[in-house]
Amino acid sequence: MFETGVRQFRLALGLVAGRRIDPGNVARLVDDVLATLAEFGEPGADAAELIDGPTTSPEAQLETANRGLRRTARRLAAQSPFYARRFAAAGTDLARFGLAGLRQVPVTVKADLTERPGDFRCADVPPYLATRTTGTTGRPTEVWLSRYEMELWPALGALASVLRDELRPGDVMQVNLSSRSTAALHLAAASCRLVGAGCRPLGIVPPEAALDALADGGTTILLSCPSYLAELVNEARRRGLGAGDFRLRRIVVGGEVLSPSLARAAARAFGVTAVEDPYSMTEIAPVSGRTCRQGHQHYDLNLGYTELIDLDTGELAAPGALGTLVVTPYFPYRDCTPVFRYDTRDVARCLPDGPLSCELAGVPATSQIVGKANQLLRLHDGEVITPRQLIEAIEALPGEPWPARYRATADGDRIRLALPASAIAGYGHAEAERHFAAAGLGADLDIVPDDQGAALRHTRSDLHETMFASQHALAGA
Amino acid sequence: MSVPISPVSLTEQTLVELCVIMSGLVAACGGALAYFRRVRQERPPIGTFNGRDVVILLIFIGVLPFVYGWLPVPLVTCLLVLTFASALHIGYRPVLGPVGVWVGIGILFGFNIWTSNHVMGSLPGWQLWFVEQSVLVVLAAIAVSNLYLQGGMKLQQVAWLALGLACYDVVFAAYYPLTGRLIARYLTHPLMPILGIRLGYFDYAVGLGDLLVYSLFFVAAYKAYGARAAAIAGGVIVVMGGFATAFVPFVFNFTNSNLDVLVPAQSLFGPFAFVTYLWMKRHYGRERTMAEYLASRGGPPAAPAPAADQAAAPQPASI
Repeated sequence: MFETGVRQFRLALGLVAGRRIDPGNVARLVDDVLATLAEFGEPGADAAELIDGPTTSPEAQLETANRGLRRTARRLAAQSPFYARRFAAAGTDLARFGLAGLRQVPVTVKADLTERPGDFRCADVPPYLATRTTGTTGRPTEVWLSRYEMELWPALGALASVLRDELRPGDVMQVNLSSRSTAALHLAAASCRLVGAGCRPLGIVPPEAALDALADGGTTILLSCPSYLAELVNEARRRGLGAGDFRLRRIVVGGEVLSPSLARAAARAFGVTAVEDPYSMTEIAPVSGRTCRQGHQHYDLNLGYTELIDLDTGELAAPGALGTLVVTPYFPYRDCTPVFRYDTRDVARCLPDGPLSCELAGVPATSQIVGKANQLLRLHDGEVITPRQLIEAIEALPGEPWPARYRATADGDRIRLALPASAIAGYGHAEAERHFAAAGLGADLDIVPDDQGAALRHTRSDLHETMFASQHALAGA
Repeated sequence: MSVPISPVSLTEQTLVELCVIMSGLVAACGGALAYFRRVRQERPPIGTFNGRDVVILLIFIGVLPFVYGWLPVPLVTCLLVLTFASALHIGYRPVLGPVGVWVGIGILFGFNIWTSNHVMGSLPGWQLWFVEQSVLVVLAAIAVSNLYLQGGMKLQQVAWLALGLACYDVVFAAYYPLTGRLIARYLTHPLMPILGIRLGYFDYAVGLGDLLVYSLFFVAAYKAYGARAAAIAGGVIVVMGGFATAFVPFVFNFTNSNLDVLVPAQSLFGPFAFVTYLWMKRHYGRERTMAEYLASRGGPPAAPAPAADQAAAPQPASI
């Protein structure tokens, strides 16, 4: 207890002073939380404040943001060639920098990072691990991470996870993400190690292999993406497996839009109460978002600053308007390839003015992510159709065509929507159009043969990784 | 005018001391158990008592007397005010509320400081001072024992603490009589950490540290294994902490240079407490955690403990 107090004091001191945090100290705090849970069954008072930050005081939130932005900008100006130029060009006064001058600094776009990755790397940190995005927008982005980041992030993640009872000793986490997501895999494995849980990084293997592991391997937590989850649900149904065949207690997906229909089906099939849909992105790690029970996306205010910038005006999005998430991870949480005001092009809707009433009401929030900015459809009457609207409507079709395969284009005031034939099998063309109309989508359908379905929309689950076991011709080679 | 001093036999002194110790034991142990069963102190978000905390406590206990002996008396008083105020505030804020607890502390301390400076010239004055002192000491023992136990201190750790204090007591009471010097130096000053009484020209007392260890052992046994174990622990406390401590001057001479009899009570109690713990561990098995104890009392449901590799919780001997 005395030691824990000293560790917490050291952590708080590091945060206030803006110095690098000792990852070993945070890892030992994870042990302390485990000991606390073993003795008391739950953490003590104010645990939420410890991990979520100053949720009850807007003044403290402003102070956290001002201090975080100032110290991050100062470091980047000194260590990152890209931002040294950018701050100089913007005439940024680093001594008094804060929220007031934030929007004088132009946003950083993906092209900057893709074309000049070396300019983003800080001079005072040796790179340790390169991780690549999956390249869903065309060209993958490579981000270098330091050893410090690779030790600190899992420690912070494990600390939050055990305090929220998201990860327990004895859990087994199965990770069905692309094997090239090196950082995500490393973080999952390291977090499990710190908590005393098991980790099974499988990759995007054939669904039957993943399902075997889920059913037989004692997996309690599944980490994947929505499209792959859809394949697992389909496979489980094909094999007649139900909730009683699994030991899962949590399913966590990210990287794509998760529709309520798929979430409900997965919860039913695998016997969990809900499918969690947090927000994260390689470029802005370790900043992340959590979905509350009312469907808001809440963004971590300890680790970074999140803005919702109107797609048209470049100003803060007004209530009800769509905006792109612009995120600044704070130093000392982001170290090697930091970004400042990174425009994720992930679009969300600004929530109406007024206080929230959800369980995370004190944490800043937007609507759930509705899709990528370049995938929005703008109809002639000005209406904007989001990928989330389309995916939710398609995946709610009675034929349960998961993951949704479609191509949508604007055609005057209507949507021209290409779907594979199986998506509306047994439902009828006219009935399907009425289904979309009921969802607020005036769509004219183009039905294509099923073998062209996969080409309509690529998903992360398309990046299947081969195994000898799934390619019988190669077995024994 | 000279006042004749009536001789008091060692038997008489022993019986009075036994009564004082037993009163302290009953008040501190009974109060600590009642508090433990009824009041929940607020815990910090992370942290539970562990073996290293016992070591830190022992180091602290070992160093503090030297600090008290070195500091000027007014500074010692300030330190004691700080210590007692912290203990009472933590312990009784859940009972009295934030305002009530400070009012209570103010009254207790104010009265104590006033009596220490104004009524010590007479026997009734001494007795009033001792009564007050005793109330403070019992309240502090109840609060601090619960702070540790509700903070996760286990019977195992209490047993090791008692064993460590046994060594401490032997050294500092028998071989290097620092405890006696401190008592002689600080007696009559406010917030003296002893419970006692004055009869005639003799003071009979038991220290706060002793009462704290007895309360810890008694309530930790209750938390770990239930009422039957607490009864056994109570028996050990009464025999070793009460009778043995009171009667041992018949066998050993613990008279110091002031002709005070100073018995190193923990050196008698500690080893027996440790052996009792070992017996309980062998007999009852693993100790209950705080969550298991609360669940056994039908308290607020605890989240499932992530104790994958722990053995099954023992059935409490009784609740």
